[in-house]
Amino acid sequence: MDLDTVKSDLVTREFLAVVLAGFGNELLPLTNDHGDEPCPKALLPVANKPMIEYTLIWLEQSGIKDVLLICPSMHRPAIYHHIHSDVTTSALRIDLQTYDESQDSGVGTCTLLRQFAPRITGDFVLVPCDFVPPPSLPLSVLLNKFRVDSVSDGALATTCWYESHKPEKNASPEEWGPIASPTLIIWDDLSGTLLHIDTPDDVDRNVDEVELRMSMLSQYPKTKLSSKFQDSHVYVCRSSVIRILQEKPHLDSFREEFLPWLCKIQYQKTKREKYKKALYADSNVSSQHLALEHSTLLPHSDVNQVNARSTLSMPPSPTEEDEMKDHSASLRVGITIRRADAGFAIRVNSIHNFLEINRRFLSGTTYALPLDPKNRSLIDQKAQISSDTIIGDSTQVSERTTIKKSVIGRHCIIGKMAKIVGCVVLDHCVIEDGVKLDGCILGKNTKVGSKAELSRCVTQAGYEVSPGETVKGEKLDVSDWTAAPEENTDDEQDEEDGSDETDDSDDVK
Amino acid sequence: MASKSAAGKEKLIDDDEEVLQAVILADSFNKRFRPLTTRKPRCLLPICNAPLLDWTFESLALAGVQEIFVICRSHAEQVKTAIKESKWSKPGSGIKIVPIMTAKETFSPGDAMRDLYTRGLVTSDFVLVMGDLVSNIRIDEVVRVHKERRKTNKDAIMTIVVKESGVSHRTRSQGESSVFVLDSETSECLHYEPVTGYPKKTLAHIPRAILAEHPEIEIRNDLIDCSIDVCSVEVPSLFQDNFDYLDIRRDFVHGILTSDLLMKNIHCYVAKDGYAARVKDTKSYDSISKDILSRWTFPLVPDDNHPSGHTYEHTRGNRYISKDNTVSLARTCKIGINTLIGSSTQVSENVEIISSVIGQNCIIGPGTTITNSYIFDNTTIGSNCSLKQSIIGAGVSIRDNTTVEKGCLIGDGVVVGPDATLKAFERLSVKHEAIPEVELDEDEDEDSDLEEVEENQDSLTKGLNLGRDSNALVWPREPPSDDEDEESPENFRNQRFMRFGDEALDLYSSDAGSVSSDDEESSSDEEDFLRDRRGSMSGASDISLPLDMPSILPGAATVAETEFKSEVTQSLERAFAEGHSVDNAAVELKTLRMASNVSLSRVREAVVAAIVEKIRIVEGGGPSQRQEINNVIERWGALINMIGGVDAVETLSILQAHCASSPRMSLYGQILLVLYDHDIVEEDDIRAWHKLPEARGEGHKPGEVMDNFKKCWLIGGHMLQQFDAQDSDESGSDEGDEEEEEEDEKEAGSKSTTADEDEDDSDEEGDDDDDDDEEESESE
Repeated sequence: MDLDTVKSDLVTREFLAVVLAGFGNELLPLTNDHGDEPCPKALLPVANKPMIEYTLIWLEQSGIKDVLLICPSMHRPAIYHHIHSDVTTSALRIDLQTYDESQDSGVGTCTLLRQFAPRITGDFVLVPCDFVPPPSLPLSVLLNKFRVDSVSDGALATTCWYESHKPEKNASPEEWGPIASPTLIIWDDLSGTLLHIDTPDDVDRNVDEVELRMSMLSQYPKTKLSSKFQDSHVYVCRSSVIRILQEKPHLDSFREEFLPWLCKIQYQKTKREKYKKALYADSNVSSQHLALEHSTLLPHSDVNQVNARSTLSMPPSPTEEDEMKDHSASLRVGITIRRADAGFAIRVNSIHNFLEINRRFLSGTTYALPLDPKNRSLIDQKAQISSDTIIGDSTQVSERTTIKKSVIGRHCIIGKMAKIVGCVVLDHCVIEDGVKLDGCILGKNTKVGSKAELSRCVTQAGYEVSPGETVKGEKLDVSDWTAAPEENTDDEQDEEDGSDETDDSDDVK
Repeated sequence: MASKSAAGKEKLIDDDEEVLQAVILADSFNKRFRPLTTRKPRCLLPICNAPLLDWTFESLALAGVQEIFVICRSHAEQVKTAIKESKWSKPGSGIKIVPIMTAKETFSPGDAMRDLYTRGLVTSDFVLVMGDLVSNIRIDEVVRVHKERRKTNKDAIMTIVVKESGVSHRTRSQGESSVFVLDSETSECLHYEPVTGYPKKTLAHIPRAILAEHPEIEIRNDLIDCSIDVCSVEVPSLFQDNFDYLDIRRDFVHGILTSDLLMKNIHCYVAKDGYAARVKDTKSYDSISKDILSRWTFPLVPDDNHPSGHTYEHTRGNRYISKDNTVSLARTCKIGINTLIGSSTQVSENVEIISSVIGQNCIIGPGTTITNSYIFDNTTIGSNCSLKQSIIGAGVSIRDNTTVEKGCLIGDGVVVGPDATLKAFERLSVKHEAIPEVELDEDEDEDSDLEEVEENQDSLTKGLNLGRDSNALVWPREPPSDDEDEESPENFRNQRFMRFGDEALDLYSSDAGSVSSDDEESSSDEEDFLRDRRGSMSGASDISLPLDMPSILPGAATVAETEFKSEVTQSLERAFAEGHSVDNAAVELKTLRMASNVSLSRVREAVVAAIVEKIRIVEGGGPSQRQEINNVIERWGALINMIGGVDAVETLSILQAHCASSPRMSLYGQILLVLYDHDIVEEDDIRAWHKLPEARGEGHKPGEVMDNFKKCWLIGGHMLQQFDAQDSDESGSDEGDEEEEEEDEKEAGSKSTTADEDEDDSDEEGDDDDDDDEEESESE
């Protein structure tokens, strides 16, 4: 017993995972409030499992224990409830923190990180709640790359970019908004270094051409440029990144502003000079530099440095000399490239992607009738359910209903003669008799009246489609000013909410 | 080697019956090797004791080329003779070499290609190389790839052979390199960006449009362009169609890649093994010599396959001594590593030769030290000399106790010393009279250069000790005053990157400075942003409103502006002197303006300035001065409004600005009046101008100019008050009255009593006015 306690004291935390769970404005109307109750993006189910589960499991598998989960304060109850009711992630120590913000005003990642800087003391992994990695990409791949890079030549961070899939034609309608265009990046394949991220500012400055500094090209003469890749928003960072962030208080977005800037440090000398305090405070390189100094492979000071030194009138003091040597830290930003053939990775940051990821999960599953007799009894013998379908617990499917290529949530009620093809139906939906759904995403508690036909629609939680209605390619919101139906939904909601909680607690047991 | 070329040949014949043709451009079209090349073409300069052209033949033979056309321009006869004497011209060599004399008017590779087209010599895909190539790359493999590609894609007209190296490889010139943008899959060349050392290139621009079709591309800054191009037959015809293509890379490749009409593709062949480089400049001469000595070019090495057929014995440390036992080495001499010594050369006691190449039949006197130098055949070096990083031509005589510092180029037949000291980067050639007449008339254009050099000998040889026996002519050290345009890679400072022995450290440091100043500005991101914004703004303004912010615009714009100003002044002076009509002068100005692409206001400024300066200052002022002003304005005033667009308010501002900083300040009031009289400015214009904040001198630093501005403004104010007075006196007066009024004013002016009148008109104005008036009358 004594040995055990001693051991646990010695093991220091290597990485802190910082998980950001935002509002998910890009997933509207799915993330719109359901009455008074918010629908956090982190809890939107992907293949009937809340999105954040994938992230937490991913973290856990890599051996990370500590998680700082940051969410808007109004989402706290729901997320708190989720992480404390779920058994699968018990090994993680989750520190749930909130920030005050409304859905309308966006707060950038940088701002959040600055706010929570006191809690981030060591190296950290920044993970979004919406990245669904393929099984072929464990987080440890990124962590290992970071470990190697940061020790060998003092890299600052490691990022992960994945090849965005080509959306199939007509897979999702244009009405759902534009598909995010991938970012133009430049990286060095050999050393796995991210060199340049094209920002909107760059585009503004020169629409026709990409401007690259020759200093970068001479340092990394063989680089690749591509616009095929998308950022996973997973960043393994050294703790000094937080300090730099605090020196750049005007930066807001991590991906669009801070990361492109960070990429420049590795080949812009004066930037290093300016931020060296923040950069070198915990540099691992200092311990290595004596060894590296004797290495014949390490190129010694280049021409510029010689000049810089010769211009100094005073002989450099030993401490300055040390600092100069410290500069051999490359401060580069690593990159891990995931090609499309290496497994499907996606960020659920648009409705297209939400549908896409659900479909991907479907292709890997085979539906079988539930074994639990209670659930089984809910599914009618005469219902036709194709094998690439997922149906949640306690969902009722009535006779002569056809379900193909769809994800059906829990506690749904599906009437007779309904036809559901290529849909994602979240929990507690009610689909009445003879309804036809094609390529739709139904928010939770959506009610579709009998014989209604929906094609390529997205509904907000609690939306009601009146019987016989036909809608194509629209985002359906619960409008606030239609007083009468709103009251109805509110009432329903309350009831449903009550049952919701009891159901969840059942699950836990 | 011979068997290899035969093998390559056979394979080609098997593939298809076509003969593989090659075209060698044996002229360099630049002057980087001068004065070594004053009497010899560059392609006949020896490198490792064999002419460059022979190395090129050898490289092509290795690739299985069967027919070679050598396009020669300067010293063509010499090239022709050299080809005739070459071992490849002997029967049984398997290669047919045809020299082609091109006109002296062929000034660029593009002209040579057009010449090639008109002669219609090439019949199939051919290899285009320069006459200074050293390579062991299997070009036949490249040709095969090229032909394979042509089968599926008829538009793939050219394959450029590039050699993978590092950014700062010694054979990769800092002064002239390039960035290639390639498709990762097909290695199609998508974008080509030439890079020069000076002006320092800081940004590479890659068009976004290419990403649409090629989602993943490679940016390569580590390739040596060895100028080996496998071209299709239509390449010469493309040169013919686009008569403005001069350089093969900068113009042709760039033109093809950016053209929307041609729809042709250029591919790159990235050679991973093998060696290929061009002796483009003296620096690469040095590095390629070293490469050959260090056997990178194997199988083309001095001890095997030497292009001139010499035989050398290769000993430890890459020392090559001629094998025919004619070399005499003194017992105490030291031969360092990477050294080659030609046959019949005598090396005396205590000589030290390190990393150098010594030609045939050289004599090196006792106690001499030679480091990193190249000495051509038949040269004699006296005792106790010291040579560093220099190239010494053939038949040179360096007498005793001479010191040659790094970077010197000494032309054929020069005599230096004894006891001479050559400073770094000195260039010497033989004096005019020393050259036999026969060789002279061959090259007229170069001759003119020589004459120029000769004229300036006095200033050039000042303080220089060439020794009493010297017949040398010193070449200018500094760039010519009318330095070629900075854009061209041939500019002097950029040439320094290509100069043997020149580290160009000052240029490096200055460029490091510019880099760091870049970064200093960008050290804070706001500034970075601002700078970029400003940069882009000034960039834009270069096109649209070039001279609206002259203070910000550095460099080219200001140069253009001053140039334009002087042009305008000159053209006006001509017009004044020769009495052109106003119309003609206006037309001339308009053309000038179009040519220099400057804004209208700039022209107006220049015109107003010229007219004001045209007015003579008459001693004593008074009526004669007034008459002078009147004459000038009457004759030329109309020009102001004829240069295009009438903007009298601007004219007034310009007049004010000009007078404020000119000795003709005192004439301002009268000029204004005369302009008004001649209807060049109207009353309303004066009012409008008077209201402008700038008219009061705002935005100027306090000082004389500012004071003058204020004075002008006040004078304008007086005029306006006069107008007001007239209006109130004679409201509803007809034209005749107005004329009378004007005449009155003229009289008033001529009597130089404007001040008095002013006082009458504006009593209430008070002290300010009085001061002003006093000053005005004083100046008058």
